[in-house]
Amino acid sequence: MKINLVQRDMTLKQGKFGLRSESHNYKEKNSVGMYDDKRGYNADYCGSFTGKSEAATTVMKKGGILTKKWFNKFLTYSYEHNISTSALVALVLAGVLRPTMIMALPGKKDKEDKIYASGHSMASAILGFVASTLLTSPLDSSVKALFSNPEKYGSKKLSKIHRVQEALEKRANLRNESGVIINRKSRELYKYVMKHKDNLEILAKNIPDWIIAVPRSILTIALIPPILKYVFGVEKKKKPDTVAENKNMEPKAMDFVEKPIFSQFKGGVK
Amino acid sequence: MNVTFNTNPINRYNQKFNQCTPKPQSFTGNPVSTVLDTEDALIKLAAEESKRSSFFKPFSDFYDNVTDKIAKHFTSKVVDSKALGYVADKLKNSNNLFQQCLIIGSLITSGLYMEKTLTNDKLEKDRKNTLAVNQGLTFLVSTIGACTLDKYMENWWENVTAKFVGLQVEDGKFEKNFKDLKVAINKVNNELKKTPDLDVFKFAEDVKATMGLSEDTYTILTRNIKKAINNSDDKLKSIPKINLDKFIEKLVKDKKMNPLSSELAGKVKGMGLLRSMLVFGFVYRFFVPVVVTKPANMLCEKYLAHKQNKKEAKQVA
Repeated sequence: MKINLVQRDMTLKQGKFGLRSESHNYKEKNSVGMYDDKRGYNADYCGSFTGKSEAATTVMKKGGILTKKWFNKFLTYSYEHNISTSALVALVLAGVLRPTMIMALPGKKDKEDKIYASGHSMASAILGFVASTLLTSPLDSSVKALFSNPEKYGSKKLSKIHRVQEALEKRANLRNESGVIINRKSRELYKYVMKHKDNLEILAKNIPDWIIAVPRSILTIALIPPILKYVFGVEKKKKPDTVAENKNMEPKAMDFVEKPIFSQFKGGVK
Repeated sequence: MNVTFNTNPINRYNQKFNQCTPKPQSFTGNPVSTVLDTEDALIKLAAEESKRSSFFKPFSDFYDNVTDKIAKHFTSKVVDSKALGYVADKLKNSNNLFQQCLIIGSLITSGLYMEKTLTNDKLEKDRKNTLAVNQGLTFLVSTIGACTLDKYMENWWENVTAKFVGLQVEDGKFEKNFKDLKVAINKVNNELKKTPDLDVFKFAEDVKATMGLSEDTYTILTRNIKKAINNSDDKLKSIPKINLDKFIEKLVKDKKMNPLSSELAGKVKGMGLLRSMLVFGFVYRFFVPVVVTKPANMLCEKYLAHKQNKKEAKQVA
């Protein structure tokens, strides 16, 4: 029986970062193998079985974001919900990055305008995302269901495409002994059918965006002022009417001339 | 047997750390304990999952019913319509249909804003027209910019997608082979431009030796050359490029790789869509409003002021 003590450098000169970084480094360097060359064991290794070979794990580690579960889910989501994902991208760009950029730009004079522009950008991004997701998610799900089982939903065209696709698939890939395709026409037709189906799917997913574009824009324009006022507490202040102000100012500035005391005044040096 | 004790009662930093993230003493030497731990975790997860499913079940059932009805009474009718079939047929040669959909969507929104500007009673006629032209030009320039950026990123993004596929199918050489093939095709095409009477197969062999191409990649390259020779009536001018989809298709055909599952194929398609989403989103929702709109408005104001001055000068004369 081998008993290991977790040995860490406990001298205070390292500070808390020393302790954490060491543990972190161990995770990075030694999680594949159980033992470390220097110490003979790995403090962070808990004996779990990953189901993957060491080489595969090393490859996976190099993938970064590409191997993350959330990224994989996001890719599936972006394939199934084109409009909603576009709106999500817009939410990040127009709801976070744009306001940050607007506020970071130099210019102290128009701070009110900047705050209003940032609030406007955030409100429109949030509204766009919410409206797009609510309106198009059921449609996207229906497209997915329809394309996976067209017979169930009574789509004659898609059912026919499925039948033709299955019939052509085998014929299109038939080759002779030297590897040359025998039935070129079937292959061309197969490619055309596949492309046509893909196009139909993309159009079915994205045409709702064209339909909702106008009402969404109108809704956004109409809802932004109340959202800015009641949610963000920002309100566009009307610029003072300069012409009207000038009109008011001029008589005030000059009317002292018409006062009797001034009419009696005759200049000159006594 | 391997027992690990987490002993550290002295260091105050470590005490703090342990208070924040308490770690149980681990006994990891016995494989049975690992299996039991996993079993416990699975049972907990299953219990949580069943709770969640029972709570959300009425909602998900309702959502499924709504989706089914939409699919039956609306989506199937739209997909079966002649108009959609006609459009899909006309766009059969389109390389990036999603990009075109994004542009049309943006055109509709920009058109709406232009229409609103032109029908705004509060604005003068000159100002209306200039503002509408400004909006139209901004849309045009930003669309051209977005398309150019999208095209520019295509190659890099395809390499990232190849890396993603390689990681998913756990093939460490997939990405390298794909990149090598693209470089090799470019080399052959460049050499064909310089020397039209090139012995392509010999050159391909040289490329294989210098680049260290794998056998699979070399097979795909030579087959591509043969296909190009068969398809060309005259001398061979260039060999066609191979994109990621075709590369996968060829590897599957040669039984060097299993066909992608429908889930993974969807993710790969999702990667392609994500590129256009990011590029067009960046241009339309970030770059244009922050960088382009202000200078465009300033130019517009200057133009209007210049026009006004001219008008006044004419009246005076």
